[in-house]
Amino acid sequence: MNPESFENLRLELRRGCLVLAVLAALRREQYGYTLRKTLAEHGLEIDEGTLYPLLRRLESQGLLSSEWREEEKRKKRFYLLSSEGAIVLDQLLAEWRSIDSSIHQVLKEQAHGTD
Amino acid sequence: MELIERYLQAVKFWLPRRQRNDIIAELSADIYAQIEEREAELGRKLAEPEVEALLKQRGHPLLVANRFQPQGYLIGPGFFPVYCFVLKIVALCYLIPWLLVWIGLMTFSPVYRAEQTHSSWFAALGSMWASFFGTAFVVVGMLTIGFAILERMQDRIHFFDRWSPSKLPLVRDPHLIPRASSSVELAVNLLFFAWLAVYCHSTEVLIGSTVRISLDSVWLWFFSGYLLLALGNAVLAANKLMHPFWTKRQAAWRLLTDAAGAVLFCLLMKANILAGIAISGVPPEKTLTIAHAINHWMDTLFPASIAVGLVILAVNIYRILRLQSEPEPLSA
Repeated sequence: MNPESFENLRLELRRGCLVLAVLAALRREQYGYTLRKTLAEHGLEIDEGTLYPLLRRLESQGLLSSEWREEEKRKKRFYLLSSEGAIVLDQLLAEWRSIDSSIHQVLKEQAHGTD
Repeated sequence: MELIERYLQAVKFWLPRRQRNDIIAELSADIYAQIEEREAELGRKLAEPEVEALLKQRGHPLLVANRFQPQGYLIGPGFFPVYCFVLKIVALCYLIPWLLVWIGLMTFSPVYRAEQTHSSWFAALGSMWASFFGTAFVVVGMLTIGFAILERMQDRIHFFDRWSPSKLPLVRDPHLIPRASSSVELAVNLLFFAWLAVYCHSTEVLIGSTVRISLDSVWLWFFSGYLLLALGNAVLAANKLMHPFWTKRQAAWRLLTDAAGAVLFCLLMKANILAGIAISGVPPEKTLTIAHAINHWMDTLFPASIAVGLVILAVNIYRILRLQSEPEPLSA
């Protein structure tokens, strides 16, 4: 398969998961740069051009709250999961687990079929 | 850190006005945090080329700013394929024929060519391009505006919601020849054959008792040609009635008769076929003027007839190529 096509499919698959990862990571208050680093440390690299617009979108949907604060002599915007965001995160996690389980079922059935 | 300020300024220009300062403050904090971390790792200040590389990695300011903009489009993904389809139809049915007629006029009409190239060929090409571009610009512009309005009105007219599977077009078999069209073709060719045989078998054609048309002696060649052609077309139409599917043989015969018809028609346009017209009660000098005018117009329309002939041949060739690329129907 064309590596570019695979990369596009991979990015498409990750796109939806990133929302989940951002919401999950923001159960603890963080600002953009540290959030990006946290995600990268867990194998979820996200560039700033994707992260900041995503944070704004989630905030405008009421899933995150934010505030500007000074830390280490520099003003930073800290984000935190809102109570509505916590409910949505639980729902999304349930959905994600359900998808994961369905895919496993499909794979298991096909594996039995080829035995 | 002038580079960073320049980068932020470039991004800021393209940001939505209300969020501009907020986004830039956050982006600035992110860039400086990254630089500070890198400097802590290296134990020294970053050199300007290193800062430049870091900014370049973040992407073009326009792209960075675009990600903060709401997704906007003139013609949305729903209407875009229709827009492209209409543009292709316009190009095929209007702009390309326009170009072909111009080429035809320049090739076959000395009067038109002289008018256009009175200063130079270069000027003629320039004038043609200006006229062609102007026409294309207006047509494409009007279509684009029309579709953009349709896109904006979509929420109100609910174009994509108001449809029913039962109103979709019937399944079309590209190989099928409708029996109705074969019947019409057969009738028209038989009538044409009979009309030619009864009324046009000589160079003197009478229309009622008041009009007599005198044709040039070359007409007798055309008469035989058209008679044969009408007969051939009638036989082909009868065959299509019995076997209503295109086959390679049917398509090849159709190409042959259409090519013969196109050649005959083009030659007729150039033949100065009208020798005279006599209408009772009309002075001969006036009817002669009418005959000359008709001959002149036929001559002038010669390039257009070539263009039409070429289009007909192209349709026939396309049909044969399609039959070659697709399997013939079993029922043929």
